[in-house]
Amino acid sequence: MTTDNLSPAGGPGGTARPGNGAAPESRIHDIGYRGYDGPRLGRSYARRSLFAQSLRGAFGLGRSARSKIVPVLITCVLTLPAVIAVAVTMMSGADQLPMTYVEYTAGFEMVITLFLAAQAPQAVSLDLRYRTMPLYFSRPIETSDYVRAKYLATACAVLVLTALPQAVLYVGALLAKLDFADQTTAFAEGLAGAAVLALLYSGIGLVVAALTPRRGFGVAAVIAVMMLSFAAVSTLQVAADFNDAKGAVPWLGLFSPSTLIYGLQHAFLGAGAPFPGNAGPSTAQGLVYLLAVAALIAGSYGLLIRRYRKAGL
Amino acid sequence: MFTAFHPTVARLTYRALLGRRRALVLGILPALLVLISVAVRLLADGDPQSSTDVLGRFALAAMVPIIGVIAGTGAIGPEIDDGSVMYLLAKPVKRRTVLFTKLVVAIAVTMVFSAVPTLVAALILVGTTDGIAVAYTVAALVASVAYASLFLMLGTITRHAVVVGLVYTLIWETLLGSYVPGARSLSVQQWALAVGADLAEGKLITSEVGTVTGAVLLTVVTVVAAWYGARRLRSLTPATEE
Amino acid sequence: MTTLQLDHVSRWFGNVVAVNDITVDVGPGVTGLLGPNGAGKSTLINMMAGFLAPSAGSVTLDGSPVWRNEGVYREIGIVPEREAMYDFLTGRQFVVANAELHGLGAAEAQRALALVEMEHAQDRRIGTYSKGMRQRVKMASALVHDPSVLLLDEPFNGMDPRQRMQLMDVLRRMGDEGRTVLFSSHILEEVEQVASHIEVVVAGRHAASGDFRSIRRLMTDRPHRYLVRSSDDRALAAALIADPSTSGIEVDAAEDALVIQAADFGRFTELLPKVAREHGIRLYTVSPSDESLESVFSYLVAA
Repeated sequence: MTTDNLSPAGGPGGTARPGNGAAPESRIHDIGYRGYDGPRLGRSYARRSLFAQSLRGAFGLGRSARSKIVPVLITCVLTLPAVIAVAVTMMSGADQLPMTYVEYTAGFEMVITLFLAAQAPQAVSLDLRYRTMPLYFSRPIETSDYVRAKYLATACAVLVLTALPQAVLYVGALLAKLDFADQTTAFAEGLAGAAVLALLYSGIGLVVAALTPRRGFGVAAVIAVMMLSFAAVSTLQVAADFNDAKGAVPWLGLFSPSTLIYGLQHAFLGAGAPFPGNAGPSTAQGLVYLLAVAALIAGSYGLLIRRYRKAGL
Repeated sequence: MFTAFHPTVARLTYRALLGRRRALVLGILPALLVLISVAVRLLADGDPQSSTDVLGRFALAAMVPIIGVIAGTGAIGPEIDDGSVMYLLAKPVKRRTVLFTKLVVAIAVTMVFSAVPTLVAALILVGTTDGIAVAYTVAALVASVAYASLFLMLGTITRHAVVVGLVYTLIWETLLGSYVPGARSLSVQQWALAVGADLAEGKLITSEVGTVTGAVLLTVVTVVAAWYGARRLRSLTPATEE
Repeated sequence: MTTLQLDHVSRWFGNVVAVNDITVDVGPGVTGLLGPNGAGKSTLINMMAGFLAPSAGSVTLDGSPVWRNEGVYREIGIVPEREAMYDFLTGRQFVVANAELHGLGAAEAQRALALVEMEHAQDRRIGTYSKGMRQRVKMASALVHDPSVLLLDEPFNGMDPRQRMQLMDVLRRMGDEGRTVLFSSHILEEVEQVASHIEVVVAGRHAASGDFRSIRRLMTDRPHRYLVRSSDDRALAAALIADPSTSGIEVDAAEDALVIQAADFGRFTELLPKVAREHGIRLYTVSPSDESLESVFSYLVAA
């Protein structure tokens, strides 16, 4: 007779109760499901959340303990020399840090590559492998939101990784009473270099990692691409330098991400000459480097957008 | 009756390994090597130091191991990972036959994609002078055998075989090898170089260990890895869904 | 003939006991392995298939152990639950490869494909197959060597009703031919329709075995429930409750029927028609309301 609207129907199975002896009717009872009509936080919130989650995931926060090992280890390995340098400076009372800020990232490109290799696939391959992409795109966020969030998160992660030791150097330098203005400019230069490095490396790392849903291959591919390009370029540079083709050396440096960063830092941020034979790009060549870096970053972004638009699943 | 090789297993492995994507990836590295060799030849024009640099650092130290990792782990890793290896194991075929057949395919692929380009690169760089080309090619060939066996075994042990393999080759052998002398004696690269070194004139190619030692160690590693891989296959349990 | 014998088989993973001291003989005919998720069905099937070693006890096929014995696969065909196959092969190439691994040829492969009615799609890549088609190709690969034992892990997963009926037909036919067919499922209707014999596994333990109706008879500590509709419910109820074979009668106004709990099944079945005739009551419906596999199962699971 009556269908209960808000309270669960009495009896198991919730059948209706006809008053007569006819066969029981079927009915579905409204047990209180209500749609949500309230305010929604919108696209930018979703983007920011994705960014935050990816960034935290890059350092293993919000994940299992095992996924914290590699990022924490690498962060420590990278920060330790800075700590030591500061200690040495303070104890020996020198008026200069044993290494400059910009040099710091240059010396550790292998370690940074390892971090990138471990975390870039973590950011993108898992979504591809477990086919969660449709879950993302059936929400208000667009392809560009996803790509931007992931790219920025990975870049920020690399930036944190490289900026942390530089910050340690800076604080230590100030504590050791080194010249404030000098140190601040140098720190700023170092951060600038680190920022460009972060953007460049993340772009390349993500493009390579997004090629395969298998995380292991992604790791391998990133390491291979970064290391082999560096090996190839430096081999060629050594050969060129050895054989009186010294003019070619700075131009060869355009062909690998690490040498691009080294070259940029030398041309604009006052780092030492990075290439064999004490060569480095002049300011003019440095502009070409800058263009190349910008092109690579833009290209990576574009490729990622294309990739996710096509394989949105 | 030589039953250690099963053509069907070989066919399946070969097709899985050289599916469209993977063949492309495998082909990039040798292409890169040849490109670099051409560039170095133009820049350095047959200078033996630069050539051995390219061949030693790039071909033998980077390309051969990476191809070995991809081919060795790829011959069995993905199948174990998604469970399709079950179709090979639930058959009245001896597990060691399965493993040995896969090993042969992995070795062949590694050789084709690493030793042949090494030969080509060497010929481009130095032609046939001083036996350098032969030496490096032989080194690449024997290294292929050892790497393929080692990484195939690794593929039966862990799901992260690719990462472990890469860490071993790129970090242990290359990086540490440059800084820690002890690490150099324990590296497949060096043993392979030792075997090839004799074929080059004079002391152009040096290696950490003697030729015989290198050959013995390579053989031991290959055989032990193959044997252990077969043992692992006998007790393989179905992979969980992660 | 071909019997799979599990003798005091246990399997644990660290601290978790997945299979707890199960002894069972799986003989010719279709046997359904039933149990809730996580009961250990897949572990059991993996052990029977030789993919997992028992931590204790032994699994043998007619006396020869299944673990680490490749020769036993001449007699066993396995249809795994996981979907992965060689996607780059066509259906026919895949079944042919399986045949070759058994030392057979393309003819047997063709026969197996015909058996599962996959001939129309045999030249398409497996990567393009639907779920049901993949399942059928898996079956073909398991049948290609004409095994006497067939193990299927959740074979009806993902099949549409028509494919399910086809598969049930195939399994019944296999069972009738004298093969030993064992399949696991948690969908009771399927098991009910195909299996002549069920094994129930709950939380790793062997809870029951046999025909489910006879299992129900064995559950003597639970009264049988019947749903009865008649021309005069209350009078019937009054007459029935007078007899000790009924332990409870409920007048269900919603169902417009009597729900009778019979403590003594045999006596009750004789009693009911007698009482009805004596009192001149017409019986419209008499149905056991808990003789389904579902109630048997829920009883076993709840215990």
